[in-house]
Amino acid sequence: MSLPQYDYVIIGAGPAGMAAAVEARQHGLNVLVLDEQPAVGGQIYRNIEDLEEQRPDEFQKLGADYQEAFELAQRFRASGAEYRPGRSIWQIDPDLTLYHIGQDGGPSETCHAQRILIATGAMERPMPFPGWTLPGVLACTAADVLYKSSGLLPRGEIVLLGSGPLLLLIACRLLDAGVKIAAYLDTNPHLAPFQALPYLPKALRGHEYLRKGIAMLWQMFTSGAKVHLGVTGLEADGEGHLQKVRFQQGSAPWKELPADLLLLHHGVVPNIQITRQLGCEHTWYEKQRYWEPVLDQWGNTSIENVAVAGDSGRVCGSANSVLTGRLAALETARALGKIDLAQQTALAAPLLKKQDQELAIRPFLDTLFPPRHPWLVPKNEETLVCRCEEVRVREIRDAVRLGALSPDRVKPMVRCGMGPCQARMCGLTVSEIIADERQVSPADVGYFRVRSPIKPVTLGQLTGVE
Amino acid sequence: MFQSPPNVAKTIQITFEEKTYQVAPAQTVAAALMGEGHLMLRKSLVSGETRAAFCMMGICFDCLLEIDGQPNQQSCMIQVREGMNIQRQLKKGECA
Amino acid sequence: MNTMKADVVVIGGGVIGAAVAYGLAEQKASVVMLDREDFQLTASRGNFGLVWLQGKGHGMPRYAQWSQEATELWSTFAEKLEDQTGIPQYYHRTGGFEICVGEEEYSKRSKFLEEMRTQSLTGTYNCEMISRDELQSMIPKLPLGPMVSGASFCPHDGFANPLHLLRALHQAFTQLKGQFFPSADVQTIEYNNDGFLIQTNTTRFSTRKLVIASGLATTKLSALVGIKVPVRPQRGQVLVTEKTDHLFPFATGRIRQNADGSFMFGASHEEVGYDLGTTNGVLQDIANHALAVFPTLKNLQLIRSWGSLRVLTPDQKPVYVESQSCPGAFAVTSHSGVSLASIHSSYLVDWILSGQTQPMFEVFDSARFDVPVAA
Repeated sequence: MSLPQYDYVIIGAGPAGMAAAVEARQHGLNVLVLDEQPAVGGQIYRNIEDLEEQRPDEFQKLGADYQEAFELAQRFRASGAEYRPGRSIWQIDPDLTLYHIGQDGGPSETCHAQRILIATGAMERPMPFPGWTLPGVLACTAADVLYKSSGLLPRGEIVLLGSGPLLLLIACRLLDAGVKIAAYLDTNPHLAPFQALPYLPKALRGHEYLRKGIAMLWQMFTSGAKVHLGVTGLEADGEGHLQKVRFQQGSAPWKELPADLLLLHHGVVPNIQITRQLGCEHTWYEKQRYWEPVLDQWGNTSIENVAVAGDSGRVCGSANSVLTGRLAALETARALGKIDLAQQTALAAPLLKKQDQELAIRPFLDTLFPPRHPWLVPKNEETLVCRCEEVRVREIRDAVRLGALSPDRVKPMVRCGMGPCQARMCGLTVSEIIADERQVSPADVGYFRVRSPIKPVTLGQLTGVE
Repeated sequence: MFQSPPNVAKTIQITFEEKTYQVAPAQTVAAALMGEGHLMLRKSLVSGETRAAFCMMGICFDCLLEIDGQPNQQSCMIQVREGMNIQRQLKKGECA
Repeated sequence: MNTMKADVVVIGGGVIGAAVAYGLAEQKASVVMLDREDFQLTASRGNFGLVWLQGKGHGMPRYAQWSQEATELWSTFAEKLEDQTGIPQYYHRTGGFEICVGEEEYSKRSKFLEEMRTQSLTGTYNCEMISRDELQSMIPKLPLGPMVSGASFCPHDGFANPLHLLRALHQAFTQLKGQFFPSADVQTIEYNNDGFLIQTNTTRFSTRKLVIASGLATTKLSALVGIKVPVRPQRGQVLVTEKTDHLFPFATGRIRQNADGSFMFGASHEEVGYDLGTTNGVLQDIANHALAVFPTLKNLQLIRSWGSLRVLTPDQKPVYVESQSCPGAFAVTSHSGVSLASIHSSYLVDWILSGQTQPMFEVFDSARFDVPVAA
């Protein structure tokens, strides 16, 4: 059986993946782009083509970066890269054979790549508290996706919880669309702005982001939403679905609010499911408390011919994703003999310079919006950590006390991470709880071993039986 | 909880829990159902507690539905199709 | 560095080490159990969970009998563990099949059972061939594939939840005041007239008795106390599906359904050294067998897979041996850690604590491998 062969298989059609494909095609590479979503844009520019075409007024409101992303999507469409939407990777072999399935339940397909680019983006950091599994509690990006892809707007008593630029951005987008936000519960500690001050001078080089940020804050504070700062505890409650939230600020008495919808955000973290399955080396990024693949300036991982671009490396936003995508594609063009080192260096120079500007604000932001307790390790021991198998904080702590000192040891003891999400929703929290119980860093505790299938695959799909 | 936009052509018919709905095309099953006011999608196999879509991007596996006879489908990843038959998953398993 | 004293030190925190350590602690001994940091190599992590009798002990009738005794002890063993820890074991002695695909497999299996019957110490062998129709009538919810020709059936076979077993053994051991050191890599073992001095990366232990139940590290550690136990790794890959309706109340050596409704499919036999990976070809073979037997499972989603390493002696049968040169040091190894957990925590403990052995126990000595190579 002869496998379809590609020079370059790019996983993900967000900003990084699209930019890499366009760049790679310019150097004559044979490119396949596989993406889980039905349309280009990734999560940040989800449904961007339809938006531009069918909801032009709303598209205009989304801002200048959407116009740029739309143009990128058009260049990508015209690039000659083969594009397969709605395909989920469920395994990659060490020889870079990829196995992927569609959402329609059809047969699994296989192809082989000379080089692979993983551009699978970021995902919301899990934010467990009692009641976070109730219907009506959603990740804030879920509301954003519903708006961009289906035009759905939240209604009723809407409460936002968390901190960070993305929460503000999504909140302001909802306000722009006419949504009334009842309360904004900010979990940022009061000290964070002062701790971030030393990074301000460098951050000013990215002043456009700062200006936007201040404008968003102003919009939020003047919107009529009740803003509560320094929130340190939350419980969601209701019969069968969310009806109210209780929150606490420091040691003040708990307060209660009616709520129909609670949107959460505790920053985003790289989606490392594929790099983990491949066995790439990862490291703990202490400032934002997540695992990231170890990369060089071209995005190369520790595994030959496997690279990462965009937020599935380190979370740095869409503009940087475009640059990392192009850099990775240049590296592939050189590795496959399409350009030489001198050409690569020359082509990369302006990209690296631009990247330097883009990244100027990151130390400031990473310090201004630190992931914090108790949202990393829930204080309430009965809080569900693993949503699939319903494993609680207490059970994980008990397993550690019985001598299970790493996620791979805790997992068979209590089943956390054994459900269909494959630890995507609990992995970071499990590392944090074990580290907390042992009084060490998650860096010493490690992460789950991620194995195939990365996404569920039927026995029939696995064997090719229809 | 969520409000559908006005003036959208609802050209696709789906069946959810034996009831038919006209919904807009080019959207996911989870989004379509939320637009029709269905927030709760299933019960947890472990505790029987109600669950709904959480992440809308294929990560959390909380939006699982039975679609055209196949259980445990990620409804936030699957586009609506004409004639699609969708069921909630309400069984609670005894769990190991 | 501190030196800790114990009556017995057990090196190995897998299902064998933990069963022995738990049994010792139950006898009021002060017991220390050590385990190495690297959990990936622990066979117990990837166990299929069968409490199995059929097919065991071919060429060593005493082992067939030993397995039978272990099976008889399992119910009370499981109940006691459940009482002590509250952790359900889900032990079901439902009877088990080896399902044959094609006529050739059927006649091979029949011959094999006949051999087992002939060599049996009691002259009986409680395992029989059943026809395809009989098999189908026992599992009406799962239509058999067209190639299924029948099965062998042993009423003593069953299964438990191997992860619950491991957790319960650890918890019960701790409740009985046993002390567990989860990341203690053994560096040296010294023997003198007072017993053993065991040096790990963190602590030193002094003990009169020492049990080496260290899986794939057994060969290396046993050599330190003058015991020769050859073991080698053999990889097995296992698949787990989503939870579904309860369809299969029995088990086969390669297919079973958990209490939570998920199916497990195993198990390959690969000589790949210490490689713990999964490979698509093998996972496909496993799935192909499952579908040949139960084709209606084709829409079931796989959600996990793993590779783990069996610990095999040259004849694949257990080794229980005490050192000649360093009395008080024991080596214990078997690749049936779950099936034999009941007997490891009882009869084996009697042997270790008081030298009291079961009849024909010497067949399990590793001396059986010291056969001179023919010139």
